[in-house]
Amino acid sequence: MREVVTVQVGGFANFVGSHFWNFQDELLGLADDPAADAAFRTAPLDMDVLYRTGETLQGVSTYCPRLVSIGSRGSLGSLSSSGAPGLSSAASDQLNVTTWSGNVTRSVAKPHGRNLFLQSLTEQEPNPSTSNGGDNSQKSVEDKDLVECLEKDVNFWTDYTKVQYHPQSLYEMYGSWTDFDKFDNFGTAREVVSEWSLMEEMNEKLRFFVEECDHIQGIQFIVDDSGGFSSIAATYLENIADDYTNTPVLLYCVRDPVTHGSSRNQRETISRSLHDAVSFSKLSSFCSLMVPIGLPSLSQSYLSPFLSIQDAKPFHSSAISAAAIHSVTVPFRLQNAGPASNIAHSSGNIDMRELVHIISDQGRQNMVTALDVAMPAPSLKDGNDLWNMKSLHSLTPEISDEEEDPYSVESLVVHGVLRAGGHRASISQVKSSVYSAYEARATKPKFSHLSVSPCPLPIPLPFPSIFRSNISQHGEILGNHAEGTQTKGSLDVESIPMAARLRSSNAVLPFIERRSLSLQKFGVARGALGTQILRDWGFGREEMEDMGEHLSRMVRALRPDDGLTSDSD
Amino acid sequence: MSIRMLNQNAEVMNKSAALAMNIGAAKGLQDVLKTNLGPKGTIKMLVGGAGDIKLTKDGNTLLKEMQIQNPTAIMIARTAVAQDDTSGDGTTSTVLFIGELMKMSERCIEEGTHPRFLVDGFEVAKKATLEFLETFKTSVVIGDQPDREILKMVARTTLRTKLYEGLADQLTDIVVNAVLCIRQSDQPIDLFMVEIMHMRHKFDVDTRLIEGLVLDHGSRHPDMKRRAENCYILTANVSLEYEKSEINAGFFYSNAEQREKMVTAERRQVDERVQKIIELKNKVCAGTDKNFVVINQKGIDPPSLDLLARAGIIALRRAKRRNMERLVLACGGEAINSVEGMTEECLGWAGLVYEHVLGEEKYTFVENVKNPHSCTILIKGPNDHTIAQIKDAVRDGLRSVKNTVEDEAVVLGAGAFEIAARKNLIDNVKKTVKGRAQLGVGAFADALLVIPKTLAENSGLDTQDVIVSLENEHDRGLVVGLNHNTGEPVDPEMEGIYDNYSVKRQIVNSGPIIASQLLLVDEVIRAGRNMRKPT
Ligand SMILES: Nc1ncnc2c1ncn2[C@@H]1O[C@H](COP(=O)(O)OP(=O)(O)OP(=O)(O)O)[C@@H](O)[C@H]1O
Ligand SMILES: [Mg+2]
Repeated sequence: MREVVTVQVGGFANFVGSHFWNFQDELLGLADDPAADAAFRTAPLDMDVLYRTGETLQGVSTYCPRLVSIGSRGSLGSLSSSGAPGLSSAASDQLNVTTWSGNVTRSVAKPHGRNLFLQSLTEQEPNPSTSNGGDNSQKSVEDKDLVECLEKDVNFWTDYTKVQYHPQSLYEMYGSWTDFDKFDNFGTAREVVSEWSLMEEMNEKLRFFVEECDHIQGIQFIVDDSGGFSSIAATYLENIADDYTNTPVLLYCVRDPVTHGSSRNQRETISRSLHDAVSFSKLSSFCSLMVPIGLPSLSQSYLSPFLSIQDAKPFHSSAISAAAIHSVTVPFRLQNAGPASNIAHSSGNIDMRELVHIISDQGRQNMVTALDVAMPAPSLKDGNDLWNMKSLHSLTPEISDEEEDPYSVESLVVHGVLRAGGHRASISQVKSSVYSAYEARATKPKFSHLSVSPCPLPIPLPFPSIFRSNISQHGEILGNHAEGTQTKGSLDVESIPMAARLRSSNAVLPFIERRSLSLQKFGVARGALGTQILRDWGFGREEMEDMGEHLSRMVRALRPDDGLTSDSD
Repeated sequence: MSIRMLNQNAEVMNKSAALAMNIGAAKGLQDVLKTNLGPKGTIKMLVGGAGDIKLTKDGNTLLKEMQIQNPTAIMIARTAVAQDDTSGDGTTSTVLFIGELMKMSERCIEEGTHPRFLVDGFEVAKKATLEFLETFKTSVVIGDQPDREILKMVARTTLRTKLYEGLADQLTDIVVNAVLCIRQSDQPIDLFMVEIMHMRHKFDVDTRLIEGLVLDHGSRHPDMKRRAENCYILTANVSLEYEKSEINAGFFYSNAEQREKMVTAERRQVDERVQKIIELKNKVCAGTDKNFVVINQKGIDPPSLDLLARAGIIALRRAKRRNMERLVLACGGEAINSVEGMTEECLGWAGLVYEHVLGEEKYTFVENVKNPHSCTILIKGPNDHTIAQIKDAVRDGLRSVKNTVEDEAVVLGAGAFEIAARKNLIDNVKKTVKGRAQLGVGAFADALLVIPKTLAENSGLDTQDVIVSLENEHDRGLVVGLNHNTGEPVDPEMEGIYDNYSVKRQIVNSGPIIASQLLLVDEVIRAGRNMRKPT
């Protein structure tokens, strides 16, 4: 077993993380549930990769994510930073101050309400990780209310989390007088980042989880890079690179679709372009692999025939990124099966270090990868052996549609895929169907890796109701189905098959080029309009030029004619 | 926690409205912090929206907890917090002093004085008061053997403004000893070399000083000893784990055998490093009752732990970076980055190393070291907010001792300095100033009184009575401060109430600078971040 430690930084990253951990919590529940789909029980993922066993001071044993989550003060809603629901205001009135004999004044903020869903969790204790789809009819009425309440009543990422977090996991930054509502560019975090004790505390939290790992395979890092958190993440990543030199870091940059809204004026346009460029340059300098996620609209995307996503709800849009990230982590957790059991359980387990090397060192020297998903993944058609590669669509913005790069390298994960008739396809069926699909491609990638597991994505109760009526209970895409306007949620859909692909190819060239150009045009060039903005953010001339050079180098590595590394030596 | 009053959203304003807003903000902030001041101040319990608790008696912490949006208030808060960053104390006094300067100015302005005169007067008064401080301060001879008594008095004065007397007094020796422990002649005192650790403990509130180090982790092998005496300490930053780091060259092995070979080769490199450590251990420990402990900043994987355990070595991995430096200062030896050419001289020494387990939390104590220059203050408390508040107090205490050592001076407290400085301004300085700037000197002098007044007010005393009787004593040539229990004048020297010289200096210095800026508003000020927005 090789451990993965997860880091989440910033608002939307924590929304994504909340769904991600809900999936894991659901898997844990299903593995022990005799009534659950056999795929969850017989071929479970190794949860110890992401989770740790521990013990409270009272001696109660715990099983919690290896997670450090960083957010702004107040972003935890009704959850206290110790991971438990906080003290009620009545209880805090009773509290004695043991350190002072003089006067005490209490200043009590208005308590954050707990929505119906959170209330139901505390009632259910001590066993919060139950699977959905209770068979008791009286209960399912109640579940319906819970699902509905989440569509209306989610303000914080903690409003739909059903996971028990470790007391070391959650960190609320109190940047003195930093206005986190206006935390919208790289410069806004200057004050926070310069606060020494804050970075130190963040480092210590991570060290707690890394120290106990015997063989850490890597750190998966999710950052909301739309604003100041990107600067915090960059500093954090820099410390990580110093402290854990050879530990790979897989970085996901996630964005809420609403952050793509149009700019109000030219200054804002320039500021945003510069933010994107600086943030990209800084973040990519301190990670092993970078995966930008965040289409400007999901409601209008290729996912829309199957999913009805409201872009304005981070509760919705974050679920998609979370599902994709879950799929990427599947190969890290496949049990290391011997050659004999190859057929039965899974295929293509690979650790994060190997993934990083496959993707970034085999073709071009490029570490920026596109993430494509099929959600849900289409079923295999009996008789016709080609898996539908075209069902994969990118969640990475600003890339080109071309798939004609002979130097591309990719890693594909397919899990829980069905075949006609709604049965789970066997590992070998999936493999041969995918291989044939690769064979049929006009331009084949230089290298591709395939991981297969029978275990689909479980849909936990607090998952948004975003499935269109053409999605079946097990995530099959129903053909010739009458268009209904009603969406389905976690009570109707139990699981969905998924496919996700990380792809390093020149398709990401436009994404990088744009950032490189903005930095040149608005920042570095003589008399550029944005030089002052960059100064305000704390960048001197030299640093701007270094960033510019870093970006041009990345562009050169992907240009079709130059930058190719000499073929396999 | 949010102070609404300070959040008025001002739009474009004319000069006098802007001035009024500045005065209002300064007074508002003063109101919030006023009750904090001194040994009779009020502690504040802040309960957040999720029921999380913060306890503070400290101006610095309170300011940081407040959600301030008014730019003037932010400016004042920044100055006060900067005060804390440089000298570690005096935040509350700074805010009170700025507020009072603005209040006094307001009166003069209402009577028709132009702010410019006030600012000129402030400048004169500030300079004169800083000069006066030089004559008023009490010199402390530091040398090789500093006067512990005076250090203890300063620490106690500070601690008693944050913790009840019993607890404060318990900490006094600890903070003094901690600073003296890390002090090295001719070098600035680096308080980071005092590690502050905490443990949650159901009932105990207890703090102790460990001359040595406490690490918040333990060994990761079941066979390693949990307690050892007479230990060599190897402080290392060497990877003892198999990382497949040289993967590039041949990731796609052509066959299983080749892969196997690669793996073995890499494993061997790690094993060799471990072997070097074991060799050194055998060399220095063989035939004695001595033990060997490795504290490594990098990882140590299970096979390496196995080898070390079999050789009788205790090993800790992923020690925090700063502890590398602390370990060397505490135990001696040096931090090694490579196992090549290690000698006995690289090793440090500790008389005792043992592990302490609390639930899933492990602590390793490295104690009984020779001549330590790093130490640990270990705080036990029943819950996080209590621990955090004691920690804040300990930091303040440490700073006050460090300041005293570096200032080689202290200042009589309990309001004595402020009364004396005011008297100096009124009696000696005011008359040297021509014209209306005199008003500025007067305002400055009166503003100084905010400290003794507030101390009196917080003690439930009549402020006017107190000020009158203190001033009478000063007029008779007696330097007195306020006895916060009786309201009578008291000799701070007798009582051992001393403040830091550098803290006082900074308050006197920065207060008028900010107040002057706030008085001379020329440009239009807008609330919040909109200030910078182009139009
Ligand atoms: N025993 C005492 N009797 C009277 N006054 C005292 C006594 N001890 C301390 N003081 C006074 O209390 C003031 C310091 O109070 P306090 O430490 O609460 O505020 P501060 O240092 O201005 O701000 P901070 O909140 O940063 O500590 C000093 O003026 C000091 O002289
Ligand atoms: Mg103080």
